[in-house]
Amino acid sequence: MFRRVAAFGVTGSAIAVLVAMTLSGTASARVAAAASTVSCKNPVTIGVAYPETGPAASIGTLQYNWAAQAATKWNSSHSVKIKLVKGDTQLGNGTSFAIAVAHAFASNGAMVAVTGPAGSQEMQDTSTIWHGAGLAPISGSETRVALTRSVSNPSTGPRETTPGYFFRTVPNDGQQAATAAAYIHSVLKKTKVEIIDDGEGYSTGLRDFLKVALKADHVTVTTNHITQTDTNFSTVIASIPAGTQLIYIPWQLSSQAENFYTQLHAAGKGSITVFGSDGTDDPSTFKGAGSYVTAFPYDPSNPVVKAFANHHGGNAETFGLPSYTATWVNATAIQAECAAHGNKITRAEVRSKIAKVQLSSAQGLLGFPIQFLAKNAGLFQGPGDLGGKAAYYIYKIQSNGSYKRVQ
Amino acid sequence: MHLLLFTIYNSIKALGWHGAFELLRDGIVLGALYSLVALGYTLVYGILKLLNFAHGDVFMVGAFIGFGVLSVLGGPLNAVLSTVPLIIVMFAVSMLGSGALGLVIERFAYRPLRNAPRIAPLISALGVVFFLESSVQLLTNSTHSEYLNYPVYFALIKPAFTVNIAGTVEPINVIAILVVGTAIGLMLALMYLVNRTRLGKAMRATAFDREAASMMGIDTDRVIAATFFIGSALAGAAGVMYGLFNSDTYYLVGFAFGLKAFTAAVVGGIGSIEGAMLGGVLVGLVENFAGGYAGGQWKDIAVFGMLVVFLLVRPTGLLGSHAIQKV
Amino acid sequence: MSETPETPKKTPPAETPEPQTSRIGVDSWVAESEARRSRTPAAVLGRGLERTPDAVKLLAFVGLASSVPFWTNEGDLYIFGTLTLLYATLGLGLNVVVGLAGLLDLGYIASAGMGAYTYAELSSPRFGLHWPAEATIPIAMAVAALVGAFLGFASRRLLGDYYAIVTLFFAQAFLFFTNTTNPGNFTGGPNGLPQLDPITFFGYKLTSTKQIYYFLLIVMALLAVALYFANKSRTGRAWRAQREDPLAAEVMSIPVNRVKILAAVFGAAIAGLCGAILAAIEGAAVSSDYGVPFLIIIYAIVILGGFGSIAGVFVGATIINFTLQFLAPQNDHPEVKRWLFYGTIVLFVMAIKPVIRPAVVLAATVGFGFAVHAIVAATWGHAWTSGVPDSGGAWIARWAVIPRLDPVTGLGHGNFNNCVYIGLVVAIVATASLKGWWRVAALVPTLYLTVLAWENMLAQNGGITAYLLFGAMLIGLMAWRPQGLLGSARVEIV
Repeated sequence: MFRRVAAFGVTGSAIAVLVAMTLSGTASARVAAAASTVSCKNPVTIGVAYPETGPAASIGTLQYNWAAQAATKWNSSHSVKIKLVKGDTQLGNGTSFAIAVAHAFASNGAMVAVTGPAGSQEMQDTSTIWHGAGLAPISGSETRVALTRSVSNPSTGPRETTPGYFFRTVPNDGQQAATAAAYIHSVLKKTKVEIIDDGEGYSTGLRDFLKVALKADHVTVTTNHITQTDTNFSTVIASIPAGTQLIYIPWQLSSQAENFYTQLHAAGKGSITVFGSDGTDDPSTFKGAGSYVTAFPYDPSNPVVKAFANHHGGNAETFGLPSYTATWVNATAIQAECAAHGNKITRAEVRSKIAKVQLSSAQGLLGFPIQFLAKNAGLFQGPGDLGGKAAYYIYKIQSNGSYKRVQ
Repeated sequence: MHLLLFTIYNSIKALGWHGAFELLRDGIVLGALYSLVALGYTLVYGILKLLNFAHGDVFMVGAFIGFGVLSVLGGPLNAVLSTVPLIIVMFAVSMLGSGALGLVIERFAYRPLRNAPRIAPLISALGVVFFLESSVQLLTNSTHSEYLNYPVYFALIKPAFTVNIAGTVEPINVIAILVVGTAIGLMLALMYLVNRTRLGKAMRATAFDREAASMMGIDTDRVIAATFFIGSALAGAAGVMYGLFNSDTYYLVGFAFGLKAFTAAVVGGIGSIEGAMLGGVLVGLVENFAGGYAGGQWKDIAVFGMLVVFLLVRPTGLLGSHAIQKV
Repeated sequence: MSETPETPKKTPPAETPEPQTSRIGVDSWVAESEARRSRTPAAVLGRGLERTPDAVKLLAFVGLASSVPFWTNEGDLYIFGTLTLLYATLGLGLNVVVGLAGLLDLGYIASAGMGAYTYAELSSPRFGLHWPAEATIPIAMAVAALVGAFLGFASRRLLGDYYAIVTLFFAQAFLFFTNTTNPGNFTGGPNGLPQLDPITFFGYKLTSTKQIYYFLLIVMALLAVALYFANKSRTGRAWRAQREDPLAAEVMSIPVNRVKILAAVFGAAIAGLCGAILAAIEGAAVSSDYGVPFLIIIYAIVILGGFGSIAGVFVGATIINFTLQFLAPQNDHPEVKRWLFYGTIVLFVMAIKPVIRPAVVLAATVGFGFAVHAIVAATWGHAWTSGVPDSGGAWIARWAVIPRLDPVTGLGHGNFNNCVYIGLVVAIVATASLKGWWRVAALVPTLYLTVLAWENMLAQNGGITAYLLFGAMLIGLMAWRPQGLLGSARVEIV
């Protein structure tokens, strides 16, 4: 009994001490990484946050490959060198790993810029960490509208990041859905459409925006779902409502799109048009003749793209292209700041330079000049989105598998 | 059972006869694949009373071995072999490779744990799962393997013959016949092996009472190794066909597929070969019809739900025998 | 904490036996083996640990942990500190269910998810409720406990593996309903519920990483104390009894079903607590967080530490989290990782007795490496050996064969990596299967191939390597010591 009392007493006093420490909550004596300066003489560190493992690893690898390509190409032709540090966010296994990556990057005093992360929900949960660390990630695949703009129809909620602390080198869901809806309604003149989403935030976001846009045009919309690990689509194919004229597949995996197309035709329903989002844009994988794809207008004959494709078995892995652009933007901002500020830079300075970066379409590889908006624009764009001529084009897949631009 | 009929009826109403036929056809093909993998689970559980979580990943490795053979010999431009010998080679190499992998797993992950508490081999199996998945991820750079670039795939998805259902012409493809035929053939071979050969007798004896069997002069280590080899070879064959049927393999397919195959084994009655066959077809049908009727995302949960219902209501499965619990 | 806390502490622990004087028919070396074994450093350490009172052990750990924020920066504190504590707390709850009561609960993480979502619904702008943490956390625990009770009641008659399957189904159903079906947008679908309030206790808001760290430390210490006393109580004894032999326990008038349900409730409540805290720390409740990968990590912690051992959970959490985070690619210290990896391998090799063999192996490996390097450079040309390893240290390229990466695309010779890896796996299998000097001979190419694999593939893909080594660790741990580091060996009556 006495031992029990003694145990409680000792534990209680220890806890009292701990409570006091908790409530004090002052920062530790070490210099916060956010304020440290980095020299331009050594290779400057850029973090790449992407899913190296986990269910989305197959597309995350593409992003890193292109980011590495940007680093190699930049270092061969510029005086200020960059080096990449990977961060494995395990997209699809929850956001706790992305948060750990954000903390790791935040505490890495040598890091001044970040490419990534890949998933919109990861940005949603890490935006306060990046803000506190003074980093402005540039993402090549986060397309959720709410990250840069608050929209009311469909309702997205308040803006999820702080302006100036987030940029993206892809047009967002609202832009893509608007482009697709206009084409489906005005040009293709379809009146009954099914949207099949793959359960991920990218897919459900596009689905919501497209539904609203199509319904405004009085198109009948039905929905169904698959998951990203599905390879057998017999159930969704069998449950396509009669009279459906077009199926919209806002998926992230082009291999799934091609499988779906093949199985759709094998089931005898080849008369239904397939329309894919930019995640399915991959001329080496998705070759379903007669299908449509929205994609940003990269140029397949560009020597950089061609060389990359040659070394990847003919596959240009275009899902990762915006990560190349993002890394290039980061490097450009770093170089600009180094030149302006005498070879010692901080995160805040790099951030301000990112907002002002302008790349030609040949430098950015995305088919249009790169510049970021500082204010809201249009129906769906906000600070951090691409401005200027950034848009999605629509391609039709020809019978030989090549992509031909139709809008 | 009533639920199944109810689902089927509603699917037919909602999708029409031809829709229901498609679900039926694809459900049977998928079910045949589940049966093959379930056989591996049931064989190992019968002998070692062990849930081999790693079995699903052996299936995945078998699929990749098949794809490897395909990419070497069946290339898009210059196929070294034509369709039929190519498929035979794919099967042979994959079954041998998966069998060898099963042997290695048994030797290193399970044999040292024969006398350890029941949970230790389960944890070891989890370790094997991680190891295999990460290895394949490294070797394939986390990419999906595409079968669509190879002409043999297109040869396989041609319709073998067509059926006229309520006015719509429904194809039955060569791949479907291949899968179901191979599955039935392999299962018959296994039944012959277990019931008519000496090795089969040794397997049955070891499953019944391992100590007594070893006292009777049966080398239980070799019998257990043979069981693992056979089960893994069957999984490898299933893997090759899975890849061909779905035109895609990925390093993560093993775990989920393995769980559903395990459901098939339990539903059919664990320890019973005929039960594995029946359970597999049942799981394939339920998955497809639930997906068709309720929506694609309900597939997995329907299969799991069926498993739980069976466990609570009839734990020995449809064709299993009641085991007397030894005190 | 030992498996049998009932042993009164007054009885001295195992004495070192007196050395036997020579007797006819007795081999003195064999007779002295017990004494010899008790003099090894491991045994001495073990006895020292046994003799330390449990309270002192807890205070030592808490003291050490409290000092961590003073020598790490904020990001590292989160990764190495907060996450370790979180895993340890989850592990404590799982320890009750699996370790003490022997129920293989694969749905544990879904209870954490329930707690997280409850907190999310009650402390966020979602319904406009901003209840403080001292209200929502107990509610989260209660909700999780209720669901745990229901689950335990439904599966009270199921044994071992089948209980595992039903709980796994529960976990999948939870993921399914929160992620995919999301009825009435109650759970936010795949994006989860964002913008949660930080923990507010009686008016104090815990926002900085340091505050959250200390809060977690307090919670964990309280929980450890509570579990320690629970373990010693009648309930704890009942749990352990029905784990060892349910039939005998039933016969001894322990209400086995009720005890099982109680264990499930206890574990679920702790999981709910952790889930709520995790949601508050992340600022969002995302359903895919509470899935199988997270569950595996918690299980690995409990297994490594030893079932039923509270101290083991702390040890396991520290080891596993530190290893995973250290090997993760975002930890940018490639040279340190390399030396740690090589060092561990060398340590394992040195464990071979007699000592002459490891020395031969290491020397032979060095020679073998130079030979192979020279042969490859001569026959296949300079491109195959002129690569620079990612982690710096170009000197190693003189010994290990590292193909040069193509300067345009940054890619290496793809099939080379695959051949090295498969060769390595075959070599490991061969080494483990051979005996004696054959094993020594096989070890040399194995070690060389390991170095090649690390430099060419594993070091670059830190995330995949972490899980690879994790899997290998689980296999090796079970083969070497199935009861975990601090657990005690059990003989299972089948």
